[in-house]
Amino acid sequence: MSSSDKLREKLFRPDRREMMSGMAALVAASTFGARGALAQKRITITEGEFAPVPIAIPNFSAGTPGDAEVGVGVAQVITNNLKRSGLFAPIDQAAYLEKQVNIDAPPNLNNWKSINAQALVVGRMTRQANGRVKAEFRLWDVNTGQQLAGNAFETSAEYWRRIAHIISDQIYERMTGEKGYFDTRVVFVDESGAAQRRVKRLALMDQDGANVRYLTRGSDLVLTPRFSPTTQEITYMEFGQGDPRVYLLNIETGQREIVGNFPGMSFSPRFSPDGQRIIMSLQQGGNSNLFVMDLRSKAMTRLTDTPAIDTSPSYAPDGSRLCFESDRGGKPQIYVMPGTGGAAQRISFGDGSYSTPVWSPRGDYIAFTKQGGGQFAIGIMKTDGSGERILTSGFHNEGPTFAPNGRVVMFFRDPGGNSGPSLFTVDVSGRNELRVPTPGFASDPAWSPLLS
Amino acid sequence: MAEGTGKPDLKVKVDKTLAASIVLHVLVIGWGLVSFSTKAFVMPEEDTVAVDVISSDQLSRAMAGQKDGKKENPKPLVEKVAEAKPVDDAVGKIDDKKPPVVTDTAPAPTPKVEKPEDKKPDPPKKVENKPKEEPKPVEKKPDPVKPDPIAEAIKKEEKKPPKPVAQAAKPPPEQKPKDRVFDKSKIAELLDKRDPTRASMTGDTLNANAALGTSKGKAADNSATWGAMFRQQVEVCWKNKPYGGLDAQRPEVAIDIRLKRDGGLEGMPVLDGTPSTPYARAYAESAMRAIIQCQPYRLPAAFFEEWKSFTPVFQEKPL
Repeated sequence: MSSSDKLREKLFRPDRREMMSGMAALVAASTFGARGALAQKRITITEGEFAPVPIAIPNFSAGTPGDAEVGVGVAQVITNNLKRSGLFAPIDQAAYLEKQVNIDAPPNLNNWKSINAQALVVGRMTRQANGRVKAEFRLWDVNTGQQLAGNAFETSAEYWRRIAHIISDQIYERMTGEKGYFDTRVVFVDESGAAQRRVKRLALMDQDGANVRYLTRGSDLVLTPRFSPTTQEITYMEFGQGDPRVYLLNIETGQREIVGNFPGMSFSPRFSPDGQRIIMSLQQGGNSNLFVMDLRSKAMTRLTDTPAIDTSPSYAPDGSRLCFESDRGGKPQIYVMPGTGGAAQRISFGDGSYSTPVWSPRGDYIAFTKQGGGQFAIGIMKTDGSGERILTSGFHNEGPTFAPNGRVVMFFRDPGGNSGPSLFTVDVSGRNELRVPTPGFASDPAWSPLLS
Repeated sequence: MAEGTGKPDLKVKVDKTLAASIVLHVLVIGWGLVSFSTKAFVMPEEDTVAVDVISSDQLSRAMAGQKDGKKENPKPLVEKVAEAKPVDDAVGKIDDKKPPVVTDTAPAPTPKVEKPEDKKPDPPKKVENKPKEEPKPVEKKPDPVKPDPIAEAIKKEEKKPPKPVAQAAKPPPEQKPKDRVFDKSKIAELLDKRDPTRASMTGDTLNANAALGTSKGKAADNSATWGAMFRQQVEVCWKNKPYGGLDAQRPEVAIDIRLKRDGGLEGMPVLDGTPSTPYARAYAESAMRAIIQCQPYRLPAAFFEEWKSFTPVFQEKPL
């Protein structure tokens, strides 16, 4: 931060004459502007179209000769992130009139206007004496000539991808007004081997599919991994010796423990928004009910007591309410109840059955899997059950999980036959469905919160 | 040769008619010389009148009245020179010929109403004579007449298949509504045959510009015209307003702009106020980009005074 401020100061310190004229212009603008506004005709414009913002991202320049490669890599990661969001249209570098842009001077905007860019990202990667790498970037509005964002970071050289994700988030946030989701990871179940003898391993990757890491060895079946909203921990269900159990795994240390010790199955765990509790289903005979366990005191609290299968609980971001799936009315449907238990209210009333509800981190939607008519669909509805919208539908789609900004839903799709499942993302508007690259078959994704 | 006298005969034979002709000519020409030559042939001087050619919309604007018009015309609207009489209804057709009609109930123009029946198939007329008599007492309602003849005609058709076929030569147009025949003789039917509903506004002098300078006048405003043109142009550029999702705030962004005569921006657009949220800021910037990108704007030069400075307001459509 401090270095970027210095840069900005160096670049934009006006001399006295500029300051005088600037102030004069300001005074004139304020007096005339205010008076003129009284009688101004107001023309209302509401009909914008949706189109991605054309943005130019030239390769980051190299501060030292050895940094050219990483400069290209950072620009590529940013380009890929913004493109995949569906909200930006990065312009092909071949069209650029300038290939290398100096970050220390205001850019020649005409070069970018002429290729119809609306925003321009310029940056530099510099190897420091201590072996770390410094990344600087500026985001320019090509039409107004304003600098919209600018920042500098320093990190170990091997984390350059993460730097690129952080810069992507800052661009996204500045241009859309919403939090980004690029500096995040996804935990999922990696599936390999023949269909009859699938090996399922927990795996972790960046949201763009890079840096895949396996967390379990695959000797035991694992399902429904979920990220902690606050710590580098994952909770999941594993079929060990005997009944399936809910586990807690620290992804930094690899340490793992069973959550609670109950007779019978425990499954479909999820963290509370504060990360202090885990809510899950406990089997009781032929039925299951919802319980919440405090991770520090290990105290269990019962939330439902019905002769039905209550499962897949998910808290609202403020923890005041939770949604879950229950077949108490016959078919599985989505219910909402207070976070501390109590009367549940059914919110899903469409045809078919609804399952795996998950509350958006933004609080406005609940995503679900909907089954009916031989199809599995991923959809969202408002938290009162209104405004249901199907985002995708097909032979088998399941397990939605929200990006931390609530704008994108990830899920897995199995085309059937001998093939296996793979991960997809789709915008909550239903646009921009994209496959997420994974090394093999993949299912049960769960999005992490923003890392930074 | 003649003896004694030897006097030559001096007597010339004067033709009397010639003399009369000469005398008359002299008289006439002499009178003419005297009477015509006295007055110089000079055109009287006239005042020059300036004439402007204005378009119809300029005229309609002038007639609509302007708030800032000069208050030099305090006279009421007068369409006809006569003794001043108040007229309540200032719209509708004006009757120049008849004395003003206060209500339209007084005259009962029954014959006129009958006319449309000419279009209907003739048979009913022949069959039904009575209904014709009926309408007279019932002021001018032809409606009860119509259904009967048609019903009768239908009955007739049902009863007597052969004859109606011959008579139904005219009804076919009803069966084939696609063939719309243009009948010049029926143009008159389209004319507005209503009686005038009001009398002319009368007064001692004609005055058609009564609305000028009145307090109920509007400011000169053609923003509906050029505003729509501006909107259409800027909307094409306002492509990437940030997507706010279902529960997003509904921002409203007002931007003051000044345009040059060529439709280009005179300076940077000025945002009204400061956006309170990152989303509102991104929204405002998207609108700003659209305004800058879409210039120059093609707007009617006639209204330049109105659009040289105005405020586009960008907002979300209400759900």
